[in-house]
Amino acid sequence: MKRRFSLLALAFALLCAGTAWAQSTLVYGTTDKVTVMDPASAYDQHTWDIFQNIDKGLLGYEPGTDKVVPALAERYTVNKEGTEYTFYLRHGLKFTDGTPFTADTVKWSIDRVMRLKGDPSWLVTQFVKEVQVVDPYTVKFILMGPTPFFPTLVAGNPPYFPLSPNVYPADHFITNPSELKGGALVGLGPYKCTSFKRDEEVVLDANPDYYGPPPHIKRIIIRYFDDATTMRLALERGEIDLAYKTLNPSDISDLQKNPKLNTFKIASPFIRFLCFECSQSVFQNKELRQAIGALINRPEITQKVYLGQAIPLYSMVPIGMAGHTDNFKAALGDGNVKLAEKILSKLGYTRESPFAFDLWYTPTHYGDTEVNLGDVLKQEIERCPLVKVTVKSAEWATYKQQFNNKQMPAYLLGWYPDYIDPDDYTAAFAQTAASAGEGIFFSNKKWDDLFTQEQQSLVPSERAKIFKEVQAMWPGESLTVPIFQGNLFIFTRKNVEGVKIGPPLIFNYDQLRFVK
Amino acid sequence: MNATSGGREIRAAKYSPAGAVAALFRRFSEAARRYRIEWWILVAGVVVIAAIVTMTLFPHLFTHFRPEDMNAGPQMKPPSAAHLMGTDNLGRDVWSRIVYGAQTILGVAIAASLASALIGIPLGLVSGFSGGFGDKVISLIMDSIYSFPGLILAIAFAAMLGPGVINITVAVAVVYVPTYFRLVRGQTLSIKQELYVEAANAIGARRPTVLAKYIFPNVIATVVVVFSLNIADAIMTEAALSYIGLGLPAGIPDWGMDLSMGKKFLPSGVWWMITYPGLMIMILALGFTMLGEGLSEILNPRLQEY
Amino acid sequence: MRRILNYFLMRVLLTIPMLFVLLTLVFVVLRVMPGDPVSAMLGGHAPEYVIQQKKAELGLNKPIFEQYIDYLGQLAHGDLGNSMIFVERVSHPIAQRLPATIELTLFGLIVTLGIGIPLGVRASRKRRTAQDFGIRFYANIVYCIPVFWMGLILQMVFGVLLPIFPIAGRVGARIISSDFDRTGFYVLDTLMKGNFADLGDVLMHLVLPAFTLGITLSGVFVRLTRANMLDVLKSDYVLASRARGVPERRVVYKHALKNALIPIVTMLGLQFSALLAGAILTETTFSWPGMGRLLLERIYLRDYPTVQGVIIVYALFVSVVSLIVDIVYAIIDPRVQL
Repeated sequence: MKRRFSLLALAFALLCAGTAWAQSTLVYGTTDKVTVMDPASAYDQHTWDIFQNIDKGLLGYEPGTDKVVPALAERYTVNKEGTEYTFYLRHGLKFTDGTPFTADTVKWSIDRVMRLKGDPSWLVTQFVKEVQVVDPYTVKFILMGPTPFFPTLVAGNPPYFPLSPNVYPADHFITNPSELKGGALVGLGPYKCTSFKRDEEVVLDANPDYYGPPPHIKRIIIRYFDDATTMRLALERGEIDLAYKTLNPSDISDLQKNPKLNTFKIASPFIRFLCFECSQSVFQNKELRQAIGALINRPEITQKVYLGQAIPLYSMVPIGMAGHTDNFKAALGDGNVKLAEKILSKLGYTRESPFAFDLWYTPTHYGDTEVNLGDVLKQEIERCPLVKVTVKSAEWATYKQQFNNKQMPAYLLGWYPDYIDPDDYTAAFAQTAASAGEGIFFSNKKWDDLFTQEQQSLVPSERAKIFKEVQAMWPGESLTVPIFQGNLFIFTRKNVEGVKIGPPLIFNYDQLRFVK
Repeated sequence: MNATSGGREIRAAKYSPAGAVAALFRRFSEAARRYRIEWWILVAGVVVIAAIVTMTLFPHLFTHFRPEDMNAGPQMKPPSAAHLMGTDNLGRDVWSRIVYGAQTILGVAIAASLASALIGIPLGLVSGFSGGFGDKVISLIMDSIYSFPGLILAIAFAAMLGPGVINITVAVAVVYVPTYFRLVRGQTLSIKQELYVEAANAIGARRPTVLAKYIFPNVIATVVVVFSLNIADAIMTEAALSYIGLGLPAGIPDWGMDLSMGKKFLPSGVWWMITYPGLMIMILALGFTMLGEGLSEILNPRLQEY
Repeated sequence: MRRILNYFLMRVLLTIPMLFVLLTLVFVVLRVMPGDPVSAMLGGHAPEYVIQQKKAELGLNKPIFEQYIDYLGQLAHGDLGNSMIFVERVSHPIAQRLPATIELTLFGLIVTLGIGIPLGVRASRKRRTAQDFGIRFYANIVYCIPVFWMGLILQMVFGVLLPIFPIAGRVGARIISSDFDRTGFYVLDTLMKGNFADLGDVLMHLVLPAFTLGITLSGVFVRLTRANMLDVLKSDYVLASRARGVPERRVVYKHALKNALIPIVTMLGLQFSALLAGAILTETTFSWPGMGRLLLERIYLRDYPTVQGVIIVYALFVSVVSLIVDIVYAIIDPRVQL
């Protein structure tokens, strides 16, 4: 009897501890992982999200929109050719370690990114020739050429964020904040990182030196989950206040019905598509690419695998982005067995000797649903009796090496944009150099010329016309076949408000607040 | 516990297959009379295995659904008359995936056990019989692998080879080679000391002849028991590898993979996706364990005491 | 004492070739594997020269044999090296994860013995009765239950249908483990801090994983205890004690069980690698941040030094336990000639 009582007391104490905490602390659950705690090296959504909250860029996005607004720079000017951007910095700011923020720190940080050549460094080196300090509060970026989307690069990409030269090492990356001088990450953002335990927890506390309005919630604990199932249960039991990325489709449809939770659905610029190796595999024949592309049945995939939570996509440019057109729908259609049969029989394939190929997927990189995507695609493609598919899989490390070495004729990829512009959805796969980087190895002089033209133009209407043309040409070549576009879901307890995530997918934690 | 009792002496004089079968048969019927429970354990094992083997050979007799057919029924429906074990998240019939998945797991487990036996037994025989430095080196390697958690090695090999039926078979087989090696080597070492083997050596019998005629037949009884228990173990290792996600690519029905798929639907109340594949793994492993146990109690009189 | 010390040194020396064999095997397997740490980490945009440069930095373009010699040299200095994926010492994540695995296996072991030994004793006393067969049936069934399935079923019943126990992780989401984390053994850490609310939470998180591991392995110990007890119960001195009128309970639990425990201790050493294998599957099912998960994560990332480090630590772990078991055996059983 006595023992039972102490157990009860324990449970009660736990309960009290939980409720007392909930007022000032928000627990945020995710299945993402932190890769490298260094803006010069990290190149993934979640780690960038943390940088967006503990650091600041010269420019930023207005929360919840894709509108670029001043941040550490009060304003900027561009020269007539669009090759020089001058930023005028805020005065009197200090990093959390006390180092003053000046034009020199900006130059030092950009130079560090260029020198260390980390994974995201191309976002700087491909566009920026050099950074000049004009005076302590004025800094000038000299670009390689006109770059119409340069402000979005500065606003959205942590490699452009100024760091404290007194804390970050000049010659190598840091991954473990405890090895920094002072033992913690310092920045200019609304939060500072006070505890970091890889794959378990990250604790962010409000930064008292932040120049903007102080965040509503003083402490945010980011809790790392191994799988979505557990995260979902933790949310339902109230162990976490917010769950973001990535829940399984079945969990999403259950949680949407839960009256204790708020659902935020965000149209994501994340797209999934089928790639073909166009230079030496059997798919150098574009008619074969078209035939397979025609067999894909997008609504069936989004319903079966994603329970209707993803949107069928008929162009490489995602829905919601200026200039998107649905070219694949009219050109190839969905589950178009007739068209595929026509093409394949013309090429000499028969029921007895069907066209056989290997279709590759990677089982964990794009979430747990990938196996099912493989299952469904195989069945859809084999509805045409003239095709035989063997589904194969490889872990991401192997997968990447294999597509770089042209070892996979057909494979599934996904894409988060590096910058919000149709260029990052088209040239990134079709322009000769970039195409090889994704293992597609497509090369076409006419396409390359169009991309060069678009990349150097500063006239929006001219660029829109080119993207329209490229999208119209896409089904004909079918170097990649768009399948669907994702939706992002954030679930919070009813007492959490202020989830604002715009198209650049930046999650500003300082907007969050508790309500009664 | 006298070392020369039982089976060994019976077959020591001169090995004849017919005689051995007759002796074995005698032993079985004797056991059936004396130890009812053990006998029933053996029978139950055989029945379970026979049923599942029939399922792998004639799957269409057991279900009219194809395991990959995602339009077999609506998505995620609990067991009903139309779908005995319900449907999975794509709308595939769970029972049909069990039926066809048996081929995968049984095939891999048997092939892997056979492969390890075919490598481990000769190696153990030769190594134990020859002795010397080579024996020491091989024993050291085998002991090292044996003392290490097998699953970890299987994981390393499976990750190296990538998903696929043959690859997973190899990964499982690697783990069990030392089991046979140690067993056979140990027995060879003790039989080597026996009078009749020394006699054969003394009259100048050739080594392969001694190995094949006198040593191998004495080892084989224990190997049969271990083989059966080993298949049970291999079944669980295969299932574990595909549960972890190192086993097979999409498109091949497999119990372990269905289980890891079903895990994601557990909080949605979809109990049938994890209950049945796991139950089947257990039943299949149990079948081979019971067969092995039964055999061992009948073939090894000492253990009958218990 | 000297005898035991000599034996101890001998055993320690014998583990070195074993480590060497395993290490060599894993080293080769990793290098033969398709994919490498550089391509695992770099984005698709990385130009070829950057890839080559990184490989050169990591020493990956040297011949395998040379890499192997370098690694052994490093190891001889007790250095597990640096991760190739994250900028960290290999020892860092291992030091963080090993206590989690030890805690899990320890509690699993307690459950195993707690179920296995009493059931085994019971079965031996009621030999060839319905109870005996029932217990033996349990032992056989449990032996054939895949660890991960056991975990899933327990999760379903006690985590989802009757949400009593947490089903993942080592602490609740609202508890910041770095507040009390000193040794990495959370039960110990919270106890030392006197933080009983957190201790309760840590123990609650241990229940399902420990039972998953414990139940599945208990079958072996039921059978073993039963067999040994039968042996001992027939022995002369047990018969003698009975004849002297010592109460049956005392005979069984005091005299017989004590002697039957010796072979059980030996078996513990042999079953330990099964326990570790089971722990990997339990860790995956319960998102337990232990060595098994570390191994899987880093194999996918092709982080060679970390994977090698994990394997070495596992091998050491196994040898240390079998060493301890042997020594305990030597101490409790005077018949052993060392």
